[in-house]
Amino acid sequence: MRNKTIRHLSLVLALMLFAGVLAACNNGSGGSAQGSEQGGTSENKGDKVTLQFYMLGDAPKDLPVIESEINKLAEADLNVNVKFNYTSWTDWDQKYKLLLSSGQPIDLIFTADWTFYQSYAKKGAFLALDEMLPKAAPALKAHVPDDMWDAVKINDKIYTVPSTWIEYVTEGIAYREDLREKYNLPKPESLETLEAYLEGIKANEPNMIPIADSNANHTHGIRQLTSKLVNTAGQLPYGLDIMYDTPSTVTSYWGSAQHLEDLKTYKRWMDKGFFPKNVLNVKDTSNSLLQNGKAAVVLSGENPNKFNADVIKVQSTHPDWKLAYFPYPNAKGFAQPVHPIHNGFAIPRSSKNPEKALAFYEKLVTDKRYNWLTEYGVEGKNFEVDNGYYKMVGDAQTNGFPREGMNGWAWRNPEFMLYDKTFDDVLTMFEDLDKIKKPDIFTGFAEDWTPYQAEKAALEQVEKQYLYPLNVGLVADVEAGLNTFMEKAKQAGLEKIQSEYTKQWQEYLKSAGIQ
Amino acid sequence: MNTPMNTRTRTNTRLRDSEFTFMFQLISYSFIIILSIMCLLPFLLILSGSFSSNESIVRDGYHLFPTDFSLEGYKMVFKFPTQVLKAYGVTVFTTVVGTTLGLFLITMAGFVLQRKDFKYRNTFSFFIYFTTLFGGGLVPWYIMLANYFNLTDTYTVLIFPGLMTPFLIILMKNFIRSAVPDELVESAKIDGANDFRIYFSIVLKLAMPGIATVGLFLALGYWNDWFTSSLFINNPDMYQLQFYLYNTMNTITFIDQMAIGTGITLSQDVPTESTKMAMAIVVTGPILFLYPFVQRYFVKGLTIGAVKG
Repeated sequence: MRNKTIRHLSLVLALMLFAGVLAACNNGSGGSAQGSEQGGTSENKGDKVTLQFYMLGDAPKDLPVIESEINKLAEADLNVNVKFNYTSWTDWDQKYKLLLSSGQPIDLIFTADWTFYQSYAKKGAFLALDEMLPKAAPALKAHVPDDMWDAVKINDKIYTVPSTWIEYVTEGIAYREDLREKYNLPKPESLETLEAYLEGIKANEPNMIPIADSNANHTHGIRQLTSKLVNTAGQLPYGLDIMYDTPSTVTSYWGSAQHLEDLKTYKRWMDKGFFPKNVLNVKDTSNSLLQNGKAAVVLSGENPNKFNADVIKVQSTHPDWKLAYFPYPNAKGFAQPVHPIHNGFAIPRSSKNPEKALAFYEKLVTDKRYNWLTEYGVEGKNFEVDNGYYKMVGDAQTNGFPREGMNGWAWRNPEFMLYDKTFDDVLTMFEDLDKIKKPDIFTGFAEDWTPYQAEKAALEQVEKQYLYPLNVGLVADVEAGLNTFMEKAKQAGLEKIQSEYTKQWQEYLKSAGIQ
Repeated sequence: MNTPMNTRTRTNTRLRDSEFTFMFQLISYSFIIILSIMCLLPFLLILSGSFSSNESIVRDGYHLFPTDFSLEGYKMVFKFPTQVLKAYGVTVFTTVVGTTLGLFLITMAGFVLQRKDFKYRNTFSFFIYFTTLFGGGLVPWYIMLANYFNLTDTYTVLIFPGLMTPFLIILMKNFIRSAVPDELVESAKIDGANDFRIYFSIVLKLAMPGIATVGLFLALGYWNDWFTSSLFINNPDMYQLQFYLYNTMNTITFIDQMAIGTGITLSQDVPTESTKMAMAIVVTGPILFLYPFVQRYFVKGLTIGAVKG
């Protein structure tokens, strides 16, 4: 009898111990996070709610300061609090998917074409904003031009608030201008002059590897020199060719005469020693190779912004060097500014307070106090305005909130924007590109690969195995290599993918009214 | 006549014996030496990389001895040690608490499940085995922890999911079954010990080698964990060490590969090659020095169970 009571007692004790440990951990550390979450879900505690705000990337050091400042403003204006959450860049795509599919309450989340805004919107992950906008955020509705609202529509509904700042992320060739002058080489502005430039570098600077490259990225660059593809970055999937002037004609680049010719060029370049032999395994970033004088040319991945960063870096470490830039749009004859869905914010379906969220987002974009706080930090502490230019206090190491430290690309407002003095060159470049501007007709297209998912995966394998070595000229017989690749790609289902993609593309052109 | 012949043969065999021993030692020593060099080389590369200037790494690659000696990598790491230290703290905390708590639960479970007088042991065992065959997958797991238990941004979420694994429970159960004879439990009972007394005074003492093994597994699991941080932790102060490092590296990859088309700019400072190497040294260093001292206890603990008198 006594034994039994003791057994019962000890069982209860053990359970309590276990529960106690868990509870202790919970309260000790996560109390605040949980408290705020409960605040966000319970409506009966007055009208005040906490909005859950999700951004990509890493939070800046001073985020708590900014958050409390913003909350002071938001509490007075809208009676809301905001919690800024960050996903970090590790597995962000997986986390993004989980955030949207798990149904946890999120009020605002970053969207872009590269986070698959189109397919999430199609699947119904976001709330349609059409009816909410005029009521909850009239100023925001007016701030964004109508053609931008139209451009982000999926199935005739608006699911994201686009950013109104127009930028170019077109690529170009970044090269060492000082070496070009020194050895009297031509400017690398076409395939021929580029080759001559590379030859000159190889002959005069034996320790340099002319092209900074990893994973055969240069092929995108070269294609932009030689073709007028519909996609800015020259990266059409599945080896397709769609020219900007004739968008409804879709042909296969893979296996074409042009493809063979390009591959022969790469082979010739490899034989001349323009790439390192282990180019498929290079782990250094192209920029660091250029910045440290290992390579003379970067062919892919240099948009005006990144090039500017390289210039600043080189000026501080090697003031005697000079870098120059040739934008690919100059070779193509047209430039496409980023599509409005390139940076935006959506309200997930799980949101408990969509109207409040939209009203808060309106403040973020249209109210200078909110906008400056979240883009540049606290004036005087994190930044100063010097002659109309942005000036960071201290340096990137000591400053807890560098320019756009919150990754607030989506709520940039051209009226309030402050630029660093060094950014002037980029703005000049943008002005030049403005002159040859044509609308982006590719990004509005949402590919649906469910009909050929298996084939797509198989094709990616084939590409890695048979096409990459061709791209860097590691196959002795290019023609036979290309034939093998085409054969394997067809076995993997290339034709099915291409015809299905073409069908979807042409349907999109029809619905968007593009000829 | 016979005697000297005999001695000669004997010396011959003795000689041959020592020759074999010598050969064996030669082969085994050279094998071990080559193997340890293979293990040491990558570490040496990291060490020398951490003392090289970044430019020399990018230009000439890694060398066994730094060509251009520099401390800039370490300077960068220790400029703001708070983040590294915080991550350290989190990892140490989760490892210690998780391992202790996990060991307690696993030994309890193992002890109970192997008791023949526990009527439902097969039912309970089945529940545990079942999860090794059929799991819910990532999304339900995430929903469970994030939405139902509300564990996002808590230390609990870093500890709780790793506390018990079916494999370790099975391991422990079998170990206790072999290490603690039923008769011992029975005689203890006759002497008036209750189940807790048996558990604390007999099972825990006899199962020491098993506890050492399971404890090692648990501790390594917690020390190397980055995935839970990646999914459930939004507050940078609560990142585990491995995740902190992993995330830093990933940011670099992201900037290089994704940022091309996205056009986004990241304003935070990107660590250079030498900083990455210095960070790796700072992070692995203490464990590296700790391991040889702790290891012998493991070896001792593990061999106790191997030889029975």
